[in-house]
Amino acid sequence: MIRFENVSKTYKNGTPALTNISLDIEKGEFVFLVGASGSGKTTFLRLLLREELADHGRILEAGRDIGNLPRWRVPYLRRNIGCVFQDYRLLPNKTVFENVAFALEVIGRPRSTVENQVPQILELVGLGAKSKNLPGELSGGEQQRVAVARAFVNRPLILLADEPTGNLDPVNSESIMALLERINRTGTTVVMATHDKALVDRMRRRVVELDRGEMIRDQVRGVYGVEEGLAI
Amino acid sequence: MRVYFSYAFKETFSNLWRNRMMTVAAVLTVAVSLSLVGGSLLLKQSAAQATASWEQSTPVRVWMQPTATPGEISAVRSQLAQLPIVKSCVFTTKQQDFKEARLVISVSDLQFLTVADMPTSFRCTPTVPLDALTVETTFQHQPGVYRVTAPDQQIRAMAHTIRILQVVFLALAAVLLLSASVLILNTIRMAIFTRRREVSVMKLVGATNWFIRVPYITEGFVQGLLGSGVAMLAVWAFHTWYPLHNEFALDTAKVWGTNVVVLVAGVGIGSVGSAIAIRRFLDV
Repeated sequence: MIRFENVSKTYKNGTPALTNISLDIEKGEFVFLVGASGSGKTTFLRLLLREELADHGRILEAGRDIGNLPRWRVPYLRRNIGCVFQDYRLLPNKTVFENVAFALEVIGRPRSTVENQVPQILELVGLGAKSKNLPGELSGGEQQRVAVARAFVNRPLILLADEPTGNLDPVNSESIMALLERINRTGTTVVMATHDKALVDRMRRRVVELDRGEMIRDQVRGVYGVEEGLAI
Repeated sequence: MRVYFSYAFKETFSNLWRNRMMTVAAVLTVAVSLSLVGGSLLLKQSAAQATASWEQSTPVRVWMQPTATPGEISAVRSQLAQLPIVKSCVFTTKQQDFKEARLVISVSDLQFLTVADMPTSFRCTPTVPLDALTVETTFQHQPGVYRVTAPDQQIRAMAHTIRILQVVFLALAAVLLLSASVLILNTIRMAIFTRRREVSVMKLVGATNWFIRVPYITEGFVQGLLGSGVAMLAVWAFHTWYPLHNEFALDTAKVWGTNVVVLVAGVGIGSVGSAIAIRRFLDV
């Protein structure tokens, strides 16, 4: 599903963000991306979204080299990728329903599809009763669930999450993780950058650790820190 | 496609409403500047029409000296007859010129004037009005010729004044058009800034670049359209309530033609203003 082939990225100020990263992520996998701040996790996700271009190497998504994609094709690539962020990125003047519907409207989905899919996804994230509320009237956990609903309403092949539990208490973090797991079970590949040690340790999924742009660990059913004997 | 148009329509008008004060300022500036452009175009057409009419109706006059000999007169006559740029010539005798002078000279002055003092003259129509000047330069130093008067001397003086007025109008209009474009650009920039969160979400969920851009382009287009609409009304009102007279009077087709130019210019500056704003401030 996702392949990094010797990917390197250096920012204009000369800071190396990623150095010679090679890895494969299969369809339906759940991957944690861990590492200290500035280790390159966000750059990794931005490269997948083609918000940045790699300086060296290739990134393939569903077999297609996204670096060679013409600019006008990039939006179509992004329709297959859902995104969730730490700061939710909801539109404050739109209701919960409108926020989720917005993701379908701007890619030209007909009204009937919007009216059919949005209530379904809101039920899935447990916010069916709050569809008319504005984001400001919701708790942090609920806002993040709206963001997850928006990311998943178009049934993307890949879901990228950048510190989705960073602003949440443990209870809400667990509910978001449960939601992401549920989405993962539908066959969607989930790549999640996180600092949440407890979650990573409890989930026991694949862990890719970055340190100053280098991949120092790629561990199946890993934990947040180094676990002796399991590093690959 | 229907979703696309309804979204672009909804977004355009909500942007216009949200920045309504800036919208009104931009529309009024476009309207004022295009009214000046329209006025200037009317003036230009009107002046050109009047000039052509005067040039066609006023003959070139070759005045002979009162003392010119019959030989000198017939030499000028035969030269005029051979000149291809002269369509026709009529010889006017001293008596005829005296009769004409009585119509324009006051009675007190006329008592000192006799038929013998009057010059004879040739009243000529050039093939093309512009050739009047050639006739003038050809004959003014001929033996027996007193002077040659061509209509273009007076017309040129008037056309010069009209041209100066036109340049002033157009310069003013150009400055105003530029400020209108900048105002439109600024309105779009504000709209982009206000909606930067939405734009970033749209990019994330895979909205195409044109889907994101079109509402802003339409916004500039609508501002230009509204401004030119007001300017067209102003041009029409000017034509209706303060019509130009005689040779200056313009027919309706010319006023419509001017309004088409005003409309195209308005829509053009609106679209160009928004296109520049999008290029500079909307990173998609």
